[in-house]
Amino acid sequence: MAEQIVKPDLNFINEVINAGGESLKKCYQCSTCTVVCNVTPDESPFPRKEMVQAQWGLKDRLFGNPDIWLCHQCSDCTAYCPRGAKPGEVLGAIRKLSIEEFSVPGFLAKMVNSPKFLLVLLAVPTLLYILIIASQGFFGSVDIPTEDGKIVYGKFLFSLYYVDTIFTAAALFAVFSLFLGVTKYWKAMDAANPNTKTGSVGSAVSATIVDILGHNRFRKCEVTKGRATAHMLVFYSFIGLFITTILAFARVIPEYIHHLKISEGIDVHQLDWLAYIYKPIGNISAAALMVGILLVMSNRFKNQEKAGLGSYYDWLFISLVAGVGLTGLLAQFLRMANTVAAYPTYVAHLCLVFFLFAYAPYSKMAHMVYRTTALVYARLSGRDQGNA
Amino acid sequence: MAENKKVLVIGGGFSGLTAAVETAEAGSEVIIIEKTPFFGGRVTQLNKYFPKLCPPNCGLEINFKRIKNSGDVAFYTLAEVEKISGQEGNFDVTVKVKPRYVNDKCVGCNACAEACPVEMPNEFNFGLDKTKAAYITHNQAFPFMYAIDDRYCKGKACGKCAEACKYDAIDLDMKPETLTLKVGSIILAAGWDLYDVSKLDNLGGGKIRNVVTNMQMERLASPNGPTGGKILRPSDGKEAKNIAFVQCAGSRDENHLPYCSFICCMASLKQATYLREQYEDSTARIFYIDIRTPGRYEQFYWKVKDDPNVTLTKGKVARITEDAATGDVIVEAEDILAGRKIRQAFDMVVLAAGMVPSTKNSKIPADIKYTDDGFVMPATLQKGIYAVGTLKSPVDVAKSVQEATGVAIKSIQSVRR
Repeated sequence: MAEQIVKPDLNFINEVINAGGESLKKCYQCSTCTVVCNVTPDESPFPRKEMVQAQWGLKDRLFGNPDIWLCHQCSDCTAYCPRGAKPGEVLGAIRKLSIEEFSVPGFLAKMVNSPKFLLVLLAVPTLLYILIIASQGFFGSVDIPTEDGKIVYGKFLFSLYYVDTIFTAAALFAVFSLFLGVTKYWKAMDAANPNTKTGSVGSAVSATIVDILGHNRFRKCEVTKGRATAHMLVFYSFIGLFITTILAFARVIPEYIHHLKISEGIDVHQLDWLAYIYKPIGNISAAALMVGILLVMSNRFKNQEKAGLGSYYDWLFISLVAGVGLTGLLAQFLRMANTVAAYPTYVAHLCLVFFLFAYAPYSKMAHMVYRTTALVYARLSGRDQGNA
Repeated sequence: MAENKKVLVIGGGFSGLTAAVETAEAGSEVIIIEKTPFFGGRVTQLNKYFPKLCPPNCGLEINFKRIKNSGDVAFYTLAEVEKISGQEGNFDVTVKVKPRYVNDKCVGCNACAEACPVEMPNEFNFGLDKTKAAYITHNQAFPFMYAIDDRYCKGKACGKCAEACKYDAIDLDMKPETLTLKVGSIILAAGWDLYDVSKLDNLGGGKIRNVVTNMQMERLASPNGPTGGKILRPSDGKEAKNIAFVQCAGSRDENHLPYCSFICCMASLKQATYLREQYEDSTARIFYIDIRTPGRYEQFYWKVKDDPNVTLTKGKVARITEDAATGDVIVEAEDILAGRKIRQAFDMVVLAAGMVPSTKNSKIPADIKYTDDGFVMPATLQKGIYAVGTLKSPVDVAKSVQEATGVAIKSIQSVRR
């Protein structure tokens, strides 16, 4: 038998413990967890092996492994764990650390993960918008323009400069950073599991997407049964809001063309009919988002005893999503009511949206991309099959 | 000097019997009380027990004989303590004695049981079969007198047993009595209960027909058990030749019993030998977290391990389901050393259920401190009260006997101070 030298990384063990895996060392390797888990493969199942790897500080094996993302934190393992070692929460902490490890630049991930930096991170979009508003003179003598006395946000912060550019830049930054992060993750998995992939990436991706759309793995959870439904509501409302954003953006394209003088005399209102499509979609999605996120919260409280309440990292993400939904809906209602309070609400909404997207590669939002990547990798290496 | 030199032993199992005879043979007067109608406790329910693997009668019979012959031991069955007051050398103990409805004219002829029309679950066999409401647990029971269970008996309205008894031994008018005992010291030997496996919802305890407890397995293997010693599974009476043993069924689990029950590993290894000795083509698979074989018991483990038909698998069973068509039981575990999840069907599954001190659910009516798990905290006991055996921590018979002998000398010292 080949000699294996295990080099425990003591710092990493402490990192896992500090990241919410404080129960890690209670594990005595009985493997109740792998048996009660409905989403683990039969060969080299998780989370028992992850628990011992974490106890030994074997960071590379943990991070170069799609398994940490095959886990959906059903907490069936945590509920049945005879030692209170909470494998579900330990794996959650490991996932958070893996995002921190792979994301670029790393210091931003550390900031997002720490409550100490919350105000600093919030200050970035807030100051940005205060500056913009001040530069327009709205704090001074200039009146905010209206349309026949009605509030129109587009006149307050004309979309071209102050909304679309900032968010397009933030989104591009997030996409680029996420791309770098998952590329590093993919390479780490390749290094840890050489020559295990077979089959086409295309079919693995499409099968994974079908899985995600149906929340097929998530639905196998037992102890925290309601979570799949809550997540599904949030998930589909995000898709709805994405479509809304694209259509709303498309609607103002003629206005851009006019404004940038690409084509004189263009009818800037020619795509206004799109509003009849995206406004209902947006409103339904926002309502679904609020219901979904409230369910997420209530599930966490309801399952607190068996599954744990969650960490700062979890609640930062939950609060952001709830905050975006709430301020978005409020901004709409206050605008319709034509009250001045609409303006600060709108600005708050923009700041939260900025937070959600610009910091997406470092917050729990990144799970979307890392989990999908891991699921594709797992499918390619035969780790996502054969557990009906 | 103590005002009262008598020693009271509460509990008539192996610990209590040992403490009683050792104390009496050293010259002190002893009263021993037992909650059930028969002495012998959990050991009577075993097929064989460690360390010598002899049947319960070897060991118990000699103790019964010593009690009968000593003349210094008064014993009561169906007796429970209601109140303990006073201090070392001068305790007043109130004991309630429930009616047996059978007096000492009983010769054990079984006519009452034959006549009795009422069936009840046989608690001695852990519900594996039924018995009549007029019953005796087995043919070596002590005292060898039938008892009538008034939770099931219809009383004088029926009276068939009394008609059938030729010896005038049945008295359905018997009433509960209250005794006031004056004693100098008290030995607590109230023993243990098996953990309620119906709380193990993922292991099918109490739900899946062919999932039995380790104590039920003892009864199945015992010549005076429900199957006459044949290891047959409950659902269809088929020979159970392929058995899984599930270790730590409740023990070492903070959701159930946070402590190790000490005896279950040895019990399962022993029960694997029952199976292997009975059927030549039988197979046993023991699923464990760690096999714990205290002291010299390790040699027994080596012996069982050498049997090629016994497989020991590291990995706790955490899911058990039933194949409704065949009655087979499907066990799921991770074979940790192979790193693979397995699902395997067995004829029958034995849950190695843990020990719960009897004081977990029924406290002794005195100022006694208990751990969260219901064990007596010996250091906090008042002077003149001693606890033995499984009341303090899970132990085997041999250790209980050693402790009981030790406590006998302490109680004698106590009443002679």
